[in-house]
Amino acid sequence: MTIRPDDDRALEAALARLPRSVDPPRDLWPGIAARVEDRPGRSGLRWPWAAAAAVVLVVASSAITASLVRRAGTPVAAGPVAEAPVPGTASTAFGPGHTLDPAYDAARRNLVDELSRRIDRMPPSARQRLEANLGELRRASSEINGLLAERPGDPLLEELLLATYQDELAVLANASQITAAADLRAVADETEKRIPL
Amino acid sequence: MTRMLRPAFVRAPSAVAALAYAAAAFAAASPAVAASIDQRSAADPAGRIEVANTAGSVTVTGWPRNEVEVTGELGEGSERLEFTTQGKLTRIRVVLPKRSYGVDETRLVVKVPSGSGLSVNTISADIAVEGVRGGQRLQSVSGNVRTATAAQDVEIKSVSGDVEVTGSGARSLVTLTTVSGDATLANVAGEVNANTVSGNLAITMTDVARSRVRSTSGDLGLRGRLAADARLDLESISGDIRLDIAGPVGAEFEVSTFNGDIRNCFGPKPVRTDEYAPGSELRFQEGSGSAQVRIKTLNGDISVCNK
Repeated sequence: MTIRPDDDRALEAALARLPRSVDPPRDLWPGIAARVEDRPGRSGLRWPWAAAAAVVLVVASSAITASLVRRAGTPVAAGPVAEAPVPGTASTAFGPGHTLDPAYDAARRNLVDELSRRIDRMPPSARQRLEANLGELRRASSEINGLLAERPGDPLLEELLLATYQDELAVLANASQITAAADLRAVADETEKRIPL
Repeated sequence: MTRMLRPAFVRAPSAVAALAYAAAAFAAASPAVAASIDQRSAADPAGRIEVANTAGSVTVTGWPRNEVEVTGELGEGSERLEFTTQGKLTRIRVVLPKRSYGVDETRLVVKVPSGSGLSVNTISADIAVEGVRGGQRLQSVSGNVRTATAAQDVEIKSVSGDVEVTGSGARSLVTLTTVSGDATLANVAGEVNANTVSGNLAITMTDVARSRVRSTSGDLGLRGRLAADARLDLESISGDIRLDIAGPVGAEFEVSTFNGDIRNCFGPKPVRTDEYAPGSELRFQEGSGSAQVRIKTLNGDISVCNK
């Protein structure tokens, strides 16, 4: 039997706008392994797409966390809420010298909007833990970025940083999807939203 | 659920009225009796069962009948229990009103044909599954998830709830995602893809084929026997990683940490990766070297042993 992800159209639409060139870490193994072997003579990596995607994810999670902080006292089963404002600027990087591609701005806004609405339906304790763990992910990415500034091109740091950004996206997407799947006020009439098994 | 209904005489100044109001308020605050659930329907022996409940609990048990039975208590304030069967799909949902504040917990006890595939979604309700041989997809925001699995795939997602999976020892795919919840996987085999931010993961595998386990700050522990062609990746930012391999070992090991310590029971010692940095790495082959094990951390310590 194959388990497929939920058909969450809005979230998937946002995710679909993210770059196709950010592959799972498993596909990066050969290149990373080669760089490890070739460490003394290596030059800096060029991952513009990965860096841009990473920046999008960090900004998205920052916005979500900001909305969490502002809404800490919201009741568990509150009705629909206003969308969280999206920060207008982003300042993060994938190592030194990479910046966000403007093409990701629209995708970021959609992702943030979708997640902001759903997170309000989570129990406060779970929301607080989610907030704390998003902070943990940001601290991790910040720490690795700091180390990368000192050791640009380090394959271990680059791999861990990319994995951290991917984890951050996964956490945001999963939190949104799990909450939506069990929210039975909204889905009662949506008979097409089914989980294929 | 507590519903404070404001009586019409609330503004009456008399002591009698005040007493009457207090009595009414006390009565309103008393626990309401939940509505009993007792429903059943014929079902396909290998159909799909979807269960959704916001708060309370969901207990699903596989049984040898081609029938789905739902019992339990519907929490006060819930709109209704939706229980439908259409073709191979049986759907059980606790539907809440559009504006639902303080709805009581609902307890669902569901019996399903043991060959069913199962999907359960909750917000804070705990999930317990036993005796279901089909694939399982279990998701909860803050409820704990406990399941016994067979040879089919299992996917579990949780934000803050803890997870406990007991496998059958047969190969399958277990996909696990938690944010802060701890997870224990026992007697699983085949492929495990597990990811957590701060939860601790303890995994016991009878047979490791291809598995990838990651954390940000949670500790990772994996004990198991490596298949000849196993591919095992363990990765953490600041969590510690412990790998205990059972039985004969034929694998290439690639272990690296930026700022942690490496302990290796197989003999070879880690080497510094850079004269001016704290990182160290360890590469060695044991036995045939046909399997591959990669372990990486930023700050976490790593232990690799044969036990």
